[in-house]
Amino acid sequence: MVTVGDKFPGFALTAVNGTDPAKAFEPVSNASYAGKWMVVFAWPKDFTFVCPTEIVGFDGVAGEFDDRDAQLLGMSVDSDYVHLAWRQSREDLGKVSFPWLADHKRELSTALGILDKTDGVALRATFIVDPQGIIRFVSVNDMSVGRNPQEVLRVLDALQTDELCPCNWQKGQETLQAA
Amino acid sequence: MTVEQLRETLPGYAKDLKLNLGSLLTDTVLTEQQRWGALLATALAARNPKLIEAISTEAAAHLTPEAVAAAKSAASIMAMNNIYYRFTHLASDRDYATMPARLRMNVIANPGVEKADFELWSLAVSAINGCGACIDSHDKVLRQAGVSREAIQQAVRIAAVIHAVAATLDGEASLAA
Repeated sequence: MVTVGDKFPGFALTAVNGTDPAKAFEPVSNASYAGKWMVVFAWPKDFTFVCPTEIVGFDGVAGEFDDRDAQLLGMSVDSDYVHLAWRQSREDLGKVSFPWLADHKRELSTALGILDKTDGVALRATFIVDPQGIIRFVSVNDMSVGRNPQEVLRVLDALQTDELCPCNWQKGQETLQAA
Repeated sequence: MTVEQLRETLPGYAKDLKLNLGSLLTDTVLTEQQRWGALLATALAARNPKLIEAISTEAAAHLTPEAVAAAKSAASIMAMNNIYYRFTHLASDRDYATMPARLRMNVIANPGVEKADFELWSLAVSAINGCGACIDSHDKVLRQAGVSREAIQQAVRIAAVIHAVAATLDGEASLAA
């Protein structure tokens, strides 16, 4: 699996947002989000049980990610039409405001190294990618355990918080205490 | 009301301030952007509503929208940093200065105007909020950026007079109530 410091792989996939087949599909790539952070979280399969609670959980804090110039992107190895069908099948998923990537050729999941060895579907992996395309946070859960979006937000906040005040310039850096 | 009109409302006992403010509005030591950004940032730091209103209305005519936003950002972010870093500087326990602050201040990296001008406004606000460490660090950054002592001093003169005008207006408002 890729890790912190690696470049996020190049991708060109269909992203699915909304429930209207005429407007839901959009081809996207890394370039679509240039200059922004990306928070990419993968799940194993559409139409299963743990994933909806996570997706709705992330949607609940979508505004906070947006405020931090971070693009939320869901992904699984399901096709674009399966994503659309899943969104249409449930009111809570229908309202989700961020796009889901359809990695049906498994190219991105393979490049990320997140394909489960037995199932061949994406593990429950989360990546935070900075505006320079470098991975800054990686986490993976086993299939049955959902993620905590607040925790991802906390990490993003910490990654984005730098003491830029010149008050902090001191000759001979003292060691930092733990936060 | 305009700044001129506001100046006229200053009571007789504050004639010095009335005249000081008048000079500062027209003095050319600073560029137009530096002068009006400093007036706006320090007016916000001094917190008198009438002064803020008059200065900000007139500043809009002298500043780009980006500069207005940047001056407001300077007042706003320094209101946080002046408290935090004044604490770390004053606390006898030096360990506080080595703990990560975990405070977002990304606007300092991307103020939307020339960095030197943003730093100048930050220094002026720090003078009002009374953070010595902040004053020293901003002064150092400004001198390294080639800003003269005269320009820095001018920004502080603006801070001083704006603060005084605000205090006087506050006093007058309380007396009239």
